[in-house]
Amino acid sequence: MSLLELRNISKTYGRTRVLQDVSFEIGEAEIVGLLGDNGAGKSTLVKIMSGVVPFDSGNFLWKSEDIGHPNRAQTEANGIETIFQDSALVDKLTITRNIFMGREVTNRIGLMKLKEMDATAAGILDSVVTIEGIRSPRQLVGSLSGGQKQAVAIARAVHFQRSLLILDEPTSALAVRATEALLSYLEQLKITGVSSLLVTHNLHHAYKVCDRHVVMNHGEKILDVRREDTSVEELTAAVVEGRVGIERFRAGTPSTIGL
Amino acid sequence: MAVLTAPTTPGKASTPGGIAAWYRNQRGRGALEVSVLFFALQLFCVVWFLSDKVGFNYLSKGNLAVMTQAGSWLAFLAIGEGIVMMVGEIDLSVGANMGMSSLVFLTWYQGGNSWFICVLLALLTGVAIGVVNALVINFTKIPSLISTLGMMSLIWGLSVWYTGGDDIEAPRVKEFGKTFEKLLVGDIGHGVHAQLGWVIGIGALIWVVIHRHRLGNHISAVGGNEQAAKAISINPNRVRLKAFALLGVLAAFGGILISVQTKTLLPGSTLDYNLPAVTAAVIGGTAVKGGKGSVLGMILGTFIVKTFQAIVLLSSILPGFYLQVFIGGMLILFASVNQYFENKAT
Repeated sequence: MSLLELRNISKTYGRTRVLQDVSFEIGEAEIVGLLGDNGAGKSTLVKIMSGVVPFDSGNFLWKSEDIGHPNRAQTEANGIETIFQDSALVDKLTITRNIFMGREVTNRIGLMKLKEMDATAAGILDSVVTIEGIRSPRQLVGSLSGGQKQAVAIARAVHFQRSLLILDEPTSALAVRATEALLSYLEQLKITGVSSLLVTHNLHHAYKVCDRHVVMNHGEKILDVRREDTSVEELTAAVVEGRVGIERFRAGTPSTIGL
Repeated sequence: MAVLTAPTTPGKASTPGGIAAWYRNQRGRGALEVSVLFFALQLFCVVWFLSDKVGFNYLSKGNLAVMTQAGSWLAFLAIGEGIVMMVGEIDLSVGANMGMSSLVFLTWYQGGNSWFICVLLALLTGVAIGVVNALVINFTKIPSLISTLGMMSLIWGLSVWYTGGDDIEAPRVKEFGKTFEKLLVGDIGHGVHAQLGWVIGIGALIWVVIHRHRLGNHISAVGGNEQAAKAISINPNRVRLKAFALLGVLAAFGGILISVQTKTLLPGSTLDYNLPAVTAAVIGGTAVKGGKGSVLGMILGTFIVKTFQAIVLLSSILPGFYLQVFIGGMLILFASVNQYFENKAT
């Protein structure tokens, strides 16, 4: 059964058509890779799925049920957690306060249990994604490096996981070791029934963990294929050259573009 | 539903104790620097006073009265303004709001209503103006700098219309109950007035709301990175509304204190309290671009402004007539200092 399904989604910004009849689904306990060059429409698609940006036409189905045009609160209630490329953290708050932002552990009148939150945050930082060089969960996020920030955002998403994690370029700022830790974590989550959507242009990382790959090009879906039926080379050709690349790859002609 | 259960013993990223960690934590809010500045300034003034009691009569009954009276209602404005600045906005109608709330309080009291009704109506007026400010920003998306500037004039005009242009003079105001007046603005001893107690009490309450309640976390989140707050499904509009409502309550309470103290108010006379309120909040370490602030800092910032005023007015060395030069200069100086530290911290 599909967890999230988009049918014929179109979206224009002013006169620019960024998405054209895009249909695609994410199954339960499935890791899907969403690939595409810059400007292919990946980010817009992600924003639509997380309910931040409305779509013009098409259908949004959650567990095979049409839920209309969901806003962020609805997608959050469904259990969609998004980590945006432009790091969704507040620099001026501590790591703990960022991790628990909007989901503070409080008593009945809303006062935060800061000690409990600090201890949990420390545990999350240690066990979810190994992050080097973080002294304390009470450190300000603004004092962290780009990679550390992203790791904190991922740790937050993983800790509060529900049914679907959408990770927009999660590994772009991560060190190799942290990337591997993250990807193996996503595989563990899959066993517990959590789906992930990995939006990336780093094919080599995504290829290993994704069950299925979707390639976008100029606002259209040009490839939707199970991992067994494709290869890094075919995906690369699709991302770089679009439909032409797929045809060329299947015909066995060598690329005209040096890679 | 979390995958991970909270570990009973914190791991290696746990909170280290000690002064360094405490300092880093304080650095995040700026309360430490402003406390040091405040106490250094007080020490300086007391030493100056002890060495020259005639030339610089800092600890006189009269000066303490001025500082605790005028400092207290300014502290309420500064806390309110500071909260709104934390959420990434500014309210230039805070002085007008205070004036309008005061006038509502005074006219209803003059009309023979009980103090309870008058206090309630004044607080409601303050909240209503705050809520309108927030709604205008939420719906029109225009910068609060512009919308509240418009509101300042609008409320000023309304307050003139409300009173028919007259100030409410002391003889026309029914005497306040002795206990009521003493409780709100009485002299506790040696010129220190009860208003200071209200600042400490209500300030402590607001400190809890801003630094310990989840609302405070949401205010910093929206002010620090509105998109991030939105992505995690915090509703920025609702948070802004609450911040402005808080400012309304505080401005109105400051208005009640000034009303009971002076028993008279001319419509429009409180308009220029915006400047010292913003200045006090900025000296208190409130980030000009939002996301960061300390309630203790805002209160101490207020009294730093008042101390500088006392220095200018009491000492014969400084030109007392040019007080505005000092307030304006301090605003720019401290805003630059905050910006410098912020750039350094991130």
